[in-house]
Amino acid sequence: MPLLGRAPLLHHSRPLHPATTACFLSRSASAAKPHRRAPPSSRSRVRASNSDPPQQQVNLSVLRFTLGIPGLDESYLPRWIGLGFGALVVLNHLLSPSPTLAQLRSEALGLCLAAFSATLPFLGRFLEGADAASRVPLPEGSRQVFVMSENLSAAQKEDMAWASYVLLRNTNTTSVLIAIGDVLCVRGYWDPPANTSTYAMVEWFKSQMQQVGLVDLRDALYFPNSSDPQLVKILPDGVLSVLVQPVLKSDLANGETKTEGVILLASNANYAYNDKDRVWIRTLANKFQTS
Amino acid sequence: MELSRGIMSAPLEQPKLWPATAPSLGRRLPFGAFSPPQPLSNVREHRRCISRALRPRQEWVEGWVRSNDTLVRGLPIIVGGASLVAVLLNRAVSGIAAVADASSSQSRADILTLALSVTDILAGLVWLSIRPKSISPVVPRGVECKRVGPDVPSSALHELLWTWDSLTTATCCKSLVVVYGGNCILQIGVAVGSPEDGNALPVDTQKFIQGSLYKSAMESKKQSYLANLALYPGRSELPFLPANTQALILQPIGDKGIAIVGGDTIRGFTSIDQAWIAMIADKLDATLSKSYNS
Repeated sequence: MPLLGRAPLLHHSRPLHPATTACFLSRSASAAKPHRRAPPSSRSRVRASNSDPPQQQVNLSVLRFTLGIPGLDESYLPRWIGLGFGALVVLNHLLSPSPTLAQLRSEALGLCLAAFSATLPFLGRFLEGADAASRVPLPEGSRQVFVMSENLSAAQKEDMAWASYVLLRNTNTTSVLIAIGDVLCVRGYWDPPANTSTYAMVEWFKSQMQQVGLVDLRDALYFPNSSDPQLVKILPDGVLSVLVQPVLKSDLANGETKTEGVILLASNANYAYNDKDRVWIRTLANKFQTS
Repeated sequence: MELSRGIMSAPLEQPKLWPATAPSLGRRLPFGAFSPPQPLSNVREHRRCISRALRPRQEWVEGWVRSNDTLVRGLPIIVGGASLVAVLLNRAVSGIAAVADASSSQSRADILTLALSVTDILAGLVWLSIRPKSISPVVPRGVECKRVGPDVPSSALHELLWTWDSLTTATCCKSLVVVYGGNCILQIGVAVGSPEDGNALPVDTQKFIQGSLYKSAMESKKQSYLANLALYPGRSELPFLPANTQALILQPIGDKGIAIVGGDTIRGFTSIDQAWIAMIADKLDATLSKSYNS
């Protein structure tokens, strides 16, 4: 198995670091997690110059072992190996004329190991620094949509446009719907009825949201691996995780919190929103609080 | 599914809508995390939309994995190593000749089991190698302050305060300074106490603007992340930040401003944080340029 070192490049930022040693020693995943997946053929690039500190540029990298095949997720390799070799053990057992006790012991151990290997990706998903993605390609039916309610001030329009853009860009979201009070902003991949005007589409989304009935939501709802049957009606096909974030307003005078609106995020990857994502999404929801 | 991003240039009166088509789908998914929703209150039964079938089992697994991190990372190695030894013992104890002869089915079974145990050991080694170092935060030394520049419009102020709230909630940020149009319009968080009166040291904007940090950041128009500020000599250009600020992000706000975000942990800003800070700066630029031009 040829093992290549894959070095994802940091996207969008230039970390200034005066150290001139090779940076694959710095393993801390928190600094070097790539924003975008680099092509598998890139090697680790460490450029250390002797110029003044402001011009020094070093690309931090995290070396990961990879087979270099695009589209292959190496973290699932133990599962495939476990299943494949487990099948071979069973085949061997069936084909052997008279299995001895020693062979039976060996095969039992092999099957246990195969089962254990198959569960490794599942456990590894919860470890910090692990890399797991299972995106399904979006089906043909959905299309890109970007509509907003008409009765919005320019500042509100900008707020909503920016918020939806940020959510689509910085998180694993494929579809976002922001509903504050009476106004709506929908962006991303959705499945509304075709050939309708903007106004009709907004009304359609509004009615769908009312049918789903996310009233009085106090805390965020997160479905990492499946969707609620009611939400499925409004969401496009192929959605695996859904996050519903309420926009809360706490009334300090009488100490009660009101739900002013909701931000609905859908993604075609499961376990799409980790802790950090959810914290940021919550702060984004606070932006829409009316003071 | 790459989508071409249409750049929409809008006239000044229209609001900035950010690229009209949605951006290409986001980053590679990091590890999954799971948190169960809190029980809802005041939701009528026939309108509930929760599916709880899978929750209890996964919550238990995730909690156990998180709390026994080292054990879980070492588990595949232990299991793989133990089965390796067990296979060899099995062969020895059963009196089989110590020759790996693939023609006998016993040997074939042994080889398959050995291959599986080696896979487990390798997976365990990979897990151990990707463990992030845990670094403890350093409490910044200074005084709390909240200084707003003169003549800051209220909409801009609302946005700036929201920025500060989100940075403190979501990142390790402890100090924030925003310079725009040659003035310091916000200094908030922990700042160095001035020796005369013990209040926070005000930002000498002119001196900062002439310094190399500001110049290089504005030239590159990109975010600069100084993951370990102590190693960086340009630190002296930021006398208003606490002396033991651990990490720093210099984020240009359009062409006229810069945001200085100080954190309390070395490498405390993750790439997700960096991406969000860059996008927030875009929004701030739109708001501030509108407020200061109108």
